[in-house]
Amino acid sequence: MLKKLIGRRDFMKSTLAGFGGLFFLPQIDMKQEIRVVDAKGKERKFIYRTLGKTGIKLPAINMGVMLTDNPNLVRVALDSGVVMLDTAQVYQRGQNEGMIGEVLKGRPRDSYVIATKARLPNNQTTGLYTEEATEEAFLKKVDDSLKNLGLEYVDIYYHHNVWKRESALYEPILKALEKIKKAGKARFVGITTHMNEPEVIQAAIDSKLYDVVLTSYNFQQKHYAEVRDAIARAAQAGIGIVGMKAIRGGSGQTPIVKNTAAALKWVLQDPSMHTIITGFTTFEHINIDLAVMENPTLTDDEKRDLQKEVSVSGLYCQGCRQCLEQCPEHLPIPDLMRAYMYTYGYHNLTHAQDLVLSLNLPKRVCEDCGQCPVKCSVGFNVSPKIRDVVRIREVPSEFIG
Amino acid sequence: MKTVCLVLGIIIFLWGPGAEANDFKFPEITEWKQSGEIQTFIPKTLYEYINGAADLYLMYDFQELEVAEYLNEKKASVIVDVYRHKTPTHAFGIYSQERLPNANFLDIGTQGYIEQSILIFLTGPYYVKLNSFNTGAEDEEILLAFAKKVAENLGEKGRLPSILSSFPQEGKKMNSEKFINKNFLGYSFLHSAFTADYELSGTKFKLFVIESDRKDCKDMIQKYLQQTKSLEKNIAEGRYTISDPYHGEIELHWQGKYIWGILNLNEVSLRSKYLKLFEVGLEKKK
Repeated sequence: MLKKLIGRRDFMKSTLAGFGGLFFLPQIDMKQEIRVVDAKGKERKFIYRTLGKTGIKLPAINMGVMLTDNPNLVRVALDSGVVMLDTAQVYQRGQNEGMIGEVLKGRPRDSYVIATKARLPNNQTTGLYTEEATEEAFLKKVDDSLKNLGLEYVDIYYHHNVWKRESALYEPILKALEKIKKAGKARFVGITTHMNEPEVIQAAIDSKLYDVVLTSYNFQQKHYAEVRDAIARAAQAGIGIVGMKAIRGGSGQTPIVKNTAAALKWVLQDPSMHTIITGFTTFEHINIDLAVMENPTLTDDEKRDLQKEVSVSGLYCQGCRQCLEQCPEHLPIPDLMRAYMYTYGYHNLTHAQDLVLSLNLPKRVCEDCGQCPVKCSVGFNVSPKIRDVVRIREVPSEFIG
Repeated sequence: MKTVCLVLGIIIFLWGPGAEANDFKFPEITEWKQSGEIQTFIPKTLYEYINGAADLYLMYDFQELEVAEYLNEKKASVIVDVYRHKTPTHAFGIYSQERLPNANFLDIGTQGYIEQSILIFLTGPYYVKLNSFNTGAEDEEILLAFAKKVAENLGEKGRLPSILSSFPQEGKKMNSEKFINKNFLGYSFLHSAFTADYELSGTKFKLFVIESDRKDCKDMIQKYLQQTKSLEKNIAEGRYTISDPYHGEIELHWQGKYIWGILNLNEVSLRSKYLKLFEVGLEKKK
């Protein structure tokens, strides 16, 4: 028991309490290349990253086509430098694939990358497949998609919308994906997840089958640190990582972002993120994306915008670490704020307790200063939050677990 | 004054779409039992049910989804999804985005169609999908029986947006009409529009109409001209030919609260003919 606890604490310290929990990541060498692209007659320099072991080189932003039935928007995106189009059979009941097929007619097959996806009947409450979910049914889906698209193969075929490990590893679909790849109907296979992403991503790693993961990931996500750690492990395993919901958010999130470019750049600051798909519906938005494709580095103003937006709920420490110098007791305030977030944001008391215990805090915490001199950059009243969350040390871990 | 506003607010709340939604009850169907709880999804949670497809529904002012599953003794099941949108026009919008023009259409609700294991229909502000599993040879019969009962419980079936009758009939592809709620033609200043596809002697083109107030129409024309760098000092009602860098030449006409136009049609005389036919259709609507 003790051994297990120490291991888990060490893990927490090395991941969540360390790199993963930072809101802004330090700039490091991203292993990316710059390509000069003819974007509608204008020479532009776009950042390209490699999609893991697939070896596919993609610009930092590509197009999720689900929101538009406007073929000219897709044409302009492709002509401007977007390379990958992401669709699904379920979007507009196959008509989205049909529209893309029309746009692609006459374009060299190696000039674009196409990704589509399918899922089978499952129990919406448990996320587990029902008996109608057969290998044959999944194989039929890919044929339908190829027919809609008018293509002989797609580049990535995704197992769509999975939020349970058991479903990610569902044998009939894994067998179907292997057959699809072997038959040359898809160059690579992947999995998409909008909820419970870390569990699904870990299952994708364990399967040793999936080449690509398409996951929700954005700055407003309460559990972005866990998603970040999961995609880091997946990228380390050679899996290509595609981000989505960078702007609109996903399940349970407010679908409004004030600074679109900043939201995209926040995702792209992660070295494990290979590209993002965005579901734009206007030509104006394409121009925002093109600018980010040229320079995905967050400016100071953009960082401030994101901090303002994310701190509204009063739970998410930005990890600026300015408080560390202000606290006379040198308390690890960002870590304590994260423990507070685990407790009240995620309701994950195990994570919270592990983190608090790993910090080797003094017995009396935040009880002896007359007035707290810490001025949090996003306005947290840190002292009461700290006093509140450290109480978790006293709760028996068996009770929490 | 405050009291009046409060009372009015309460009345509007009680009589608004929310009240309609609460009135809806999933029907009882002979030989079928509802399985489990009715699931409810709101804009924030719709992703949990239909994942990435949720974005499009949200663009059409989705309000609420209720889902019920029915089972029978033969272990067949039918899942009924009832999506409620802000208005019947928004419901038509999402229905039109997913409607298959060559589907097997039915007289159910405002309009509906059936395919193997799925029946879809529109009625008032509701967009309804019924999926069947293990229903065998009786699939169509079962889906129809369910659909009729659900439609009855959803109240007045309403009708398709009246502006659709203004579209010229000649060459119009059946069931190709759509409502685009936002960013028509990829421009945020062009709000919403109704469109329909046409084909004449192998030539394919699209007609559209935007309905708003006069001032807003003028503003849209002005912004469109600015966007396409077309110089026009005095924006007045009438005909405009716009060289759109993304869509090619677009012929459109502004009159009062309508802007109507043609996409993808090069033949000038045919453009004029269709703009005139459209004008007549809109006049009749008034």
